[in-house]
This record gives sequence, C-alpha cells and structure tokens, in this order.
Amino acid sequence: MPIHDQGYRRYPGRRRPTGTAWWVIARQQIRTVLSQKRYLILLLLAWVPFVGRVVQIYLAANFQQASFLATSAQLFRGFLDQQGLFVFLLIVGASGAIADDRRANALQVYLSKPLTRVEYIAGKLFAPLAFVLGVTLLPALLLLVVHVAFSGSLTFVVQNLYLLPAIVLYSVALALVGTFTMVALSSLSKSRRFTALTFTGLFFFTTAMYQALQRITGSRLWALISPRDMLSVIGDAAFRVPGARALPLWAALLGVTVIIALSILVLERRIRGVEVVK
Amino acid sequence: MTIVAAEHLSKWYGQVSGLNDVSVSVPAGITGLLGPNGAGKSTFMKLITGQLRPSKGQVQVLGEPIWDNPALFQRIGFCPEQDAFYDRMTGREWVTALAGLHGFDDRTAADAAARAIAAVELTEAADRKIGSYSKGMRQRIKLAQAIAHEPELLILDEPLSGMDPLMRRRTVKQIKEWARAGTSVLVSSHILHEIESMTSNIVLINNGRIVAEGDVHQIRELIDEHPHTVSIRTTQTHAVARELLADEGVVSVRFEPGGLVVETARPDAFYARVTDLAASGRFGPIDEITSPDDNLQAVFRYLVKQ
Amino acid sequence: MSTRPVPPSFAAGAVRVFGLSLGEMLWSRRTVFLLLVTGAPVFLALVARVVQGSGVVPVRLNGAAVDGGSIFGMMIWVFFLRFIVPVLGVFYGTSLIADEVEERTLTYLFTRPIRRGAVLVGKYLAYIVSTTLVVLPSVVLVYFVLVPLGQVARTFLAFAADLGLLALGLAAYGALFALVGAALKRPLVSGLVFVFGWEQIALLVPGYLKRFTVAHYVQGLVPHAMPSEGVATLLQSVLRDNPPALVCILVLAAVVGVTLWLGVKAVESREYVLDQ
Repeated sequence: MPIHDQGYRRYPGRRRPTGTAWWVIARQQIRTVLSQKRYLILLLLAWVPFVGRVVQIYLAANFQQASFLATSAQLFRGFLDQQGLFVFLLIVGASGAIADDRRANALQVYLSKPLTRVEYIAGKLFAPLAFVLGVTLLPALLLLVVHVAFSGSLTFVVQNLYLLPAIVLYSVALALVGTFTMVALSSLSKSRRFTALTFTGLFFFTTAMYQALQRITGSRLWALISPRDMLSVIGDAAFRVPGARALPLWAALLGVTVIIALSILVLERRIRGVEVVK
Repeated sequence: MTIVAAEHLSKWYGQVSGLNDVSVSVPAGITGLLGPNGAGKSTFMKLITGQLRPSKGQVQVLGEPIWDNPALFQRIGFCPEQDAFYDRMTGREWVTALAGLHGFDDRTAADAAARAIAAVELTEAADRKIGSYSKGMRQRIKLAQAIAHEPELLILDEPLSGMDPLMRRRTVKQIKEWARAGTSVLVSSHILHEIESMTSNIVLINNGRIVAEGDVHQIRELIDEHPHTVSIRTTQTHAVARELLADEGVVSVRFEPGGLVVETARPDAFYARVTDLAASGRFGPIDEITSPDDNLQAVFRYLVKQ
Repeated sequence: MSTRPVPPSFAAGAVRVFGLSLGEMLWSRRTVFLLLVTGAPVFLALVARVVQGSGVVPVRLNGAAVDGGSIFGMMIWVFFLRFIVPVLGVFYGTSLIADEVEERTLTYLFTRPIRRGAVLVGKYLAYIVSTTLVVLPSVVLVYFVLVPLGQVARTFLAFAADLGLLALGLAAYGALFALVGAALKRPLVSGLVFVFGWEQIALLVPGYLKRFTVAHYVQGLVPHAMPSEGVATLLQSVLRDNPPALVCILVLAAVVGVTLWLGVKAVESREYVLDQ
C-alpha cells in the first residue's frame, strides 16, 4: 500500500523465555553497584589480600628461606576469614535491595509485569551473592590455581582434595546466610539506612550474646544464636581445623538452614503487590 | 508591594546550573510560577523558602533576605510538593504541633489548627492517622499546616496535585478567598488551566531563566512572531472571509465547520473591524468571536517552544 | 491574625521540637530494636541467676567463680559500655537529621520561625529521653535480678554511679554522632568505624591516643573491674590509665557541649536537598 500506517505496532521480535526476567533485575542491580565509585574501590581493595597471598605462595614455592610460609589448608581458611570485612561491607551495601523499591512504591510496578515473586527475589539476591562470591570463592579458587602454577605440580591439590569442596562450602555458606538475611531485612523496611543499622546491630549483638551466655553457663551450645559462630564451626569442619568445636557440624548446618528458611519466609510474606494500611 | 525580589539570582549544583541570572519581582496578589519539568521552578521555590543558599545574587522575601532568617517564616506559609508526613500522627496532631512551632501556646495552636483544618474541609477526618488518608486528603492537610498561622505570604508548590476535580475547584476558590483577604499567594504548577483559573499574573521560567513575567494577556500581545488567532462563528463564512482578507494585517484565513479562523498581526485593528462588521449586519449574524491563543497555554507554547 | 506571636527563642523552639520528636522516636520501629537490645541483658541476668541458683555450673570471670555483683559489673562492661551505649549513639545520633531528610519531612521543620540548630537540639533531647527511658530501667532490672538483696546496700553507690555514667555516655556519644550526622554525607559508616575501629585501636595503643576517644572517659567512671576475656581486652586492662572521675565528667560534658554546638553550626550552614 502506498501510505503506511503510522499507528502503534506490536513488537514482532523474539521475547525472552518465561522465567528469565530475574536476570533483568539482577543485571540492573549489578550495573548500579558498578557505577558507584565507592563500591568499585571496595571491590578492588577486596583483592589486595589475594595479592598478598599470591606473593606468599610465590615466596614459599621459590625460596627455601621462606618455607615457613608454605601453603597449607589454613592459608585458604585464613584468607576467607580475612575477607570477612569486605563480605560484611558488601552485604551492608545491599541494604536497599528491596527497601528502596518499597520506598518508591515500585513493588506494585514490578509485580504488575510478567514477573513472579520468586523471580523478583532471585534477581535481588543475585547481585550481592555474586559480589560476595567474587571476593571469596573466586579468589580462593584462584589461589589454588596460583599454587599449582608456582609449585609446578598438582601434589598439594591431590593430597588435599577436600580443599576444593571446603572452599566452595564455606564461601557459599557465608554468602547465602549474609545475603538472605540482608535481603529479608530489606523487605521489612523502607529505609536502607535502618536496614543496614539493624543488620549491623544484629551481627555484633548476637556475637556478644553468645559470648556472655557461654561465659555465664559454661556451655558453647549458645553458639546457635550467633550466625557468625555457626559459620565459624562450618569453616572449621570444612577445613578440618583440629580442636573441639562449639557445636556439632550438623547443628551448625541446621542453624544456618533455619536462618535461610526464616529469611525466605519473611520474603514470601513481604513481597506482595498490595499493602494494607490500617 | 513586592513580595519576592530576586536580583541576578543564580544557583548551580556542581557543574549543573539550576537557575541562571534570574531577576524578577513578584507583586502582591496571586502569581503563578510556570515552567516545564526541569525548568528551575523547584530550585526557585527552594531559594525563596530558604532551603537553598544562592550561589550568586540575592533573593528577598517580604523585603528581607530569607536564608538563615527563620523569623521571617512567621509571615510565610509553605506547602511543599513532596508527599511526606509523620504518618503515625493524626491530621489534627500534626497541624497543631507545627502551629506550635510558631510560638503559639498549646490552646491557641489547637484553635489555629482546627480553623485551618476546617478551611480545607478535613474536620471529619482530622482525628484519623495521616497514614490512612487518601492522596487528596494528604494534600489538603499539607495546605492546612501552611495556613494555620495566617501568613502574609503563601508559597504553594503544586497544591492541587492528587485532588479530584471537585476538590480542585473548591481549593482554587479557597485560594482566591485568601488572596481577597489580603494574603499574597505564589503558586507553582505546570497545569496551565489551573493557574489560569486562579490568576492572570504569571512568571514563566524555562532552562533556568525567566522567560516572561506579568499579565498573561499583555505578554501575549508582545509576542510578535506569533500572529493572533481569532475564531469567528458565522454562517456567511466566505463573505466574511472576503471582507476580512482586504485587511493588510490579516495573515491567513482557514475555514472550519460553522466559522473561520483568522490569523492577524494587528489584533487591535482587527477586533475593531470585526466589531464594525458585526454591528453592520451586512453579512448576517456573527455569533461568536474568541481568541483561542490569547491564553496561558499559547503563551507557554510560544515562549517555551514546545 | 490580629496579633502574631513572637517567634520562639532557641530554647523554646528546641523544647517544641523535643515534644514533636519524642513521640515519633518512642513509637517508631527503631524502638523495637532498642527494646530487643536492652532486653537481652535482662534475659542474660535471669539465666545467670537461674544457673547460679541451681549450683550446677559456677559462673566464672577471669577464671574465678564470681557472685551476682561481679556478673553485674561484667555485664555493665561487656553489654552496656562496649555495645549498647555506643551503638545507640550511632543508631540514633546519626539519624536525628538524616531520618527527616530521608522521610522528606525536614522541610516542615526548616520552614518554621525557629533556628535550624534548635531542631537539632530538640531532637537530641528527645533521643536522650528515649534512650535513657529504655536503657536505665534495663540496668535497674539487671541489677536487682543479679544482686542479692543482702548486698544491695553495699553495692548501691556503685550502681548509682553506673546509672549516671551510662546516661553520660549516651549523652556524649549521642552528641558526637549528632554532629557526625549533621556534617557528613555518610554518617553511619563513619560512626561505626569510630566506635568499632578507632576507639578499639586507640584504647589498645599506649600513650595519648586514647584521650581522643569517648570510651576512655566513660570507662574511667566505671566502678567495676574490667573483664579480660581475650587478648584485646587484656591489653586494654593493662594499658588502662584512669583519669580522675571529675576530669572524666568534665570532659564528657565538654564533648556534649562542643559537639552539639558544632552540630548546630553544621545544620545551620548546610543545604539539605530532599528527593522529590
């Protein structure tokens, strides 16, 4: 026809398959974080301990005098513990994950799209999880590779095959507990600052409570109220650190599972398209 | 009397200019502050309410500098744009508490709050929590806190936002009554017909600069490059058109069902001519003569070029 | 209006803002957190009392079995001084103005005929009342749960000193972080770094550094022995040099006065741009 219709036309192209919308949210979160200088600096600084450990491995592998720096399982456990501050700061940085959306009344907008609540939550969880694993799991695995490269043999890895699952287990446990808790707290408030403060307060408070209860009663079973100490038990068990632990491994794993389950429950209740004001 | 006087007023946020060398005098009465989004209205509002300090130049409100001069707020009432409250408080508690910050004792503050709440027709809902109010009710309670202390100057930022049409009309009527009682009102909005229903005195701002100020009709007359449009309703369209085309000031004639639309560069002479034609009756009755662009929307469109 | 009232003075304005803010602070979500945090020592005290009463496991402090009074002293140190008081100072102090900015209600306070500084002081006073109303009763409960009645007369003066020093600590930390909240863009991080970073390190280092902490002067007023359960706290107890009580009180009062004054200056000169 000579004169073309200039009216609205439906999009004729390919659409993403259903169930992939979470990636749109996750990608946006990642872009937002990476566009902020302070987070870029934090992410860069988080790799400084990795560089230090690389130097340590190099020296131990190439200089007899530095044999006291030899690689052991505790190097990896120590490295992951060292990353604790960066993990904490990255998780606190995710305090606005859902709080900002609640403040801007954006939840209704999101959930009015072909996006399920599960996809929304998955998208919100992905970015902090990715960043935390990027400063724990990734550098720890790279340290293993670095060791192989500098030592020129797979002997250490073969002799310590448990290290690979230990690194994965400990890093993933750290990341999951921290991010689920933070995102769940974020869904309870419209203020990212209040969420960050609450997370920080709970983090230090539960540790202090455990220490006080342990001193008063003499029992270390109170570690069940301290996520930090439960994760420490998991780390000790995974890296086969000798010595008595505060809790049996199964109890620590159960504890962190309960924390994650509670977080999921909170998210399920809070992520709704409507809010009833009484 | 000048209620707001800005002289070479500029405000920038880092590299971004919010206002650029603005000099304007706002007279007493009702004045509309207009401009598209991002024009600088909010920046101007924040400067004249002492929330921001000028980067350059000065601004005076009611004859005094406003920055770091809290005593001046005894005479000013401000209704901000943002929809933000202490949701836990009832409307009455909130307005009373804010009135109390003006130096009233508790009893007087409560009375002033009750009067203000009655003026915005919220008495029935006054003892409910603000968190349960509708958008329009929230807007009205915001107005109430601005008028409770009976200020000389009311500065209203988008005061009709969220109100239904009936409440808008009543609020516009209320604003005009306050103005008649002696309160000056400066209203910021981008809803042109609402401003037009309140006042013909405007300040038009765009890209951080004042584009025009004064009576909207006078501004219209000064816009030379846009000929005036006059709509004439008559049955003898072609005959009237032939007659008018003889006028040198007529730029164009367009026929429409039931009449014609004429563009003229000399509106005064043209109106005189059309009046004579209508009086003579030579071309039958001329039922209506209107000027579709002698209004705020046209002025806005021509000056802001949108 | 036939007669317009005189704009309130600084003090009168602060009192009015105090009245407006007190209800907001007491009935906010944050108070749930506050009750949780101050309820925990009471719970611990009950557990300790039950454990001691059962005689099953003696409670030990620094390796020695202890009585209720010593446990109370330990809780003052571990919970209230090292955690509750500074954390509440950060939590509330940095939020005094920041909350109003975030909620976009600051405009209503700053467009009244009262000085901006009066808004800060009024909110600070509301913070003092809200926190002491919750923290001090918690201390009282812990004391009477742990300390047997027969020992009350002997330990009452020390207990009164504890109440006073905690109130002073709340005032000093609150004023300091009110300044941080008024002056800095990211007050929360700065506050946490100060409390859990700077103060912890400065108290460990011999010399004059510890004088640039609030904790040094608050801890100087504590009538109980400092527990040393780890290397850091052991070092702190060894390196501790207590200034006289009068000096501590005067310095803390000066901290309150100076930081509040600086906070007032900061609030009155700063521009606050609220999100629309």
